[in-house]
Amino acid sequence: MAHAFRPRPGGDIACRLDGEEKAIISQVAQEVAELIRHDLDLREEPGAVRAAAGSDDPLERLEAEFAQSSVRAPRDSAVRRLFPDASTDAAVAEELRRLGQQDLATEKIEDLTHLVRALDGSGPGDGEVTVPADDIASWLRAMNDVRIVLADRLHITQDGDFETLRMLQQIGERVEDAPPLDDEDGVAGADVVAAVYELLTWLQESLLRAIDEY
Amino acid sequence: MHGHDPDADTDGGSRTVGVLDPERAAQAEDLEDGSWQTVVWNDPVNLMSYVEHVFRTYFGFSRARAHQLMQQVHEQGRAVVSRGSRERAESDVQAMHSYGLRATLERTEEG
Repeated sequence: MAHAFRPRPGGDIACRLDGEEKAIISQVAQEVAELIRHDLDLREEPGAVRAAAGSDDPLERLEAEFAQSSVRAPRDSAVRRLFPDASTDAAVAEELRRLGQQDLATEKIEDLTHLVRALDGSGPGDGEVTVPADDIASWLRAMNDVRIVLADRLHITQDGDFETLRMLQQIGERVEDAPPLDDEDGVAGADVVAAVYELLTWLQESLLRAIDEY
Repeated sequence: MHGHDPDADTDGGSRTVGVLDPERAAQAEDLEDGSWQTVVWNDPVNLMSYVEHVFRTYFGFSRARAHQLMQQVHEQGRAVVSRGSRERAESDVQAMHSYGLRATLERTEEG
């Protein structure tokens, strides 16, 4: 059972999560990073492309330039939400995507990887997870990006949609012989996705409250 | 602190263009082209407290100003959070996207 984030001396914050909660958040964060890589066709590690762009080798620089000029627009609806158009003008949006998407993807994958490492590194089973002051911003962004992807899968498109979904699920649970809300292809059911979304929402809110106490 | 208040004076009238300092010259150029703005749009996922936190930490807005802008996004669907050069708007939009906020840049109406 999760315990809210609390401030620690020196600007760090800590929460308490059980093994199952750590594992599911870590797994979903890894899946989001993988989804970004796959959907944007990031064959190279984005960091490697960035390093190559500053390389002394002209061929490496050329390859990096090519990797950046062939930026692919997101196809997955959730990835599109993580990498939205920067303008309502399609030509401007396309230009800015070419200039900025690679860096944005690098940052997002770094944040997600950071979150995964911190959770996995806190050990198995119930225990405290400490977030150093310098990592708080990264945690916030990563948790938010995961929530955005889960919300897309839950078809949350308007204010209040999640509350409606939760209500329908609760009614469903009370109706005997109600069909389960699982997808046909065996991926986690909508009720599991909704539970993780709810946990992350609560955790993010508690983090914000903890840093507000300073 | 990165970013600035849209209500702040941006005409830069008191600045002079540097001749020997290219950075200073570039800044002055920026201020002349102050006809772009960054818009943040409402969405059902971002927590109100999170949006407010982003406005405070990234733009350096006061708590009251950040709260007011967040409310505007929530109630009116959008709010202008910064004004300035095209370059400034581009980097502000990119930053908002890094936080998971939906943002676009556009020309200011009077520009």
